[in-house]
Amino acid sequence: MPPAQGFNRVSAAFEAEALAALDSLYRAALRLTRVPADAEDLVQDTYLKAFRAAESFEPGTNLKAWLFTILHNTARNRARDRARAPVSVDSEIVDQASDIAPESGQPETPETMLLRETLAPELQAAIDALPDAFRQAVWLRDVEEFSYAEIAEMLSIPIGTVMSRISRGRQMLFKRLHHLRPVNA
Amino acid sequence: MLDCHSLDPLVTPYIDGELPGADRRAIDDHLRACPPCHSRVAAERVVRDLIRARCRQLQEMGAPESLQRRCASALARVTLERATADSLSLGRPSGERRWASWRARVTPYALAASLVLVVGGAFVYQATDKSARVMAAELTADHVKCLALNRALGTHQTTAAVESSLASGFGWHVHLPENPARADLELVGARPCLYGEGKVAHIMYRHRGKPVSLFMLPNTARAGELVEVLGHEAAIWCVGNRTFVLVAREPKQDVERLASFVQTALR
Repeated sequence: MPPAQGFNRVSAAFEAEALAALDSLYRAALRLTRVPADAEDLVQDTYLKAFRAAESFEPGTNLKAWLFTILHNTARNRARDRARAPVSVDSEIVDQASDIAPESGQPETPETMLLRETLAPELQAAIDALPDAFRQAVWLRDVEEFSYAEIAEMLSIPIGTVMSRISRGRQMLFKRLHHLRPVNA
Repeated sequence: MLDCHSLDPLVTPYIDGELPGADRRAIDDHLRACPPCHSRVAAERVVRDLIRARCRQLQEMGAPESLQRRCASALARVTLERATADSLSLGRPSGERRWASWRARVTPYALAASLVLVVGGAFVYQATDKSARVMAAELTADHVKCLALNRALGTHQTTAAVESSLASGFGWHVHLPENPARADLELVGARPCLYGEGKVAHIMYRHRGKPVSLFMLPNTARAGELVEVLGHEAAIWCVGNRTFVLVAREPKQDVERLASFVQTALR
């Protein structure tokens, strides 16, 4: 491909593909900020940065994952600016605090099956109630279907941590949802 | 055989189907012999399956329309920053490295200029004396953005339908070429342009499958000109008190030909 000239670097296809991720980015931003107005600013900032840096995107890689990385970096920087202190404290504490011991002897039971009947709003509420670090990891993996490596890049954490957060997040969800189910005689 | 502790980091990739066959089989063996691990895996798996099954519903909430507009214009804003910067760089040879170093120097000015243009709402062309190049850059950015967003290229409209929607919807009476096919043009549709606070008409054509935009700016007078901007050619001309700008990513002579075809019909 001949080198692009001057400012003519953002192709229509790039823009269209980037804008197609808008809804996903907005939902991610809402989970990060929990305030709609902040989420909107964050997403707009993400697009401005993405279009300014479009030439640094590596064609053939996952554009949506690249945008998510920009979104998370921007959110981290904002949080850092607001707090005027390193921001990773929260997630480290969460990592240490919520070590879940595996539950004892429960094979696949009717209750486990019953869990599958959980409706979306109930599930959404349970996900929303997870601590940030686990909520992000589970959502990025199971809803947005990013790879462990992509999530590691977005959240700026090692792959092993990504996997353990997904695992713990899912287990916390199981406990919470399981708890909500009526105990059948 | 695996013990419970060494199983721990493998559970998630196991459930997600990301482990090689040998590892999978080792875990299968362990799970058959170890009820606690079995139930742990069952719990994690049921949650994963549940989320994936409800995935569509969990993703129902979309971005508000206002945000869609803001993000759609983000590229136009970036394009404009660069175009404004570029219009200050007349005579400079282009090239990646030169561009990058030069942009670093000019960016503060470019940002300031684009802030005036964007935040100041100065898109009402008659009130400004910005260069034809900057105007063409804005319209070209809209051309690119609008076609990307609307995916309008799949549609087809008659000249009469578009003329009447422009007249009834926005009070613009325009005579478009009656038989655009003579110039290999196909009419796609029309809308008010987001720029110029909706005071600019954007008429979309297709020329041999590629998008062509015709913009009409009421109450604006400009000298005729052909400007190369953002990899596109923009032909500018004036009829009465209206300025027309035709934008396409085509060779100069083609754009001139299309412009003169449309121009003839407009008279």
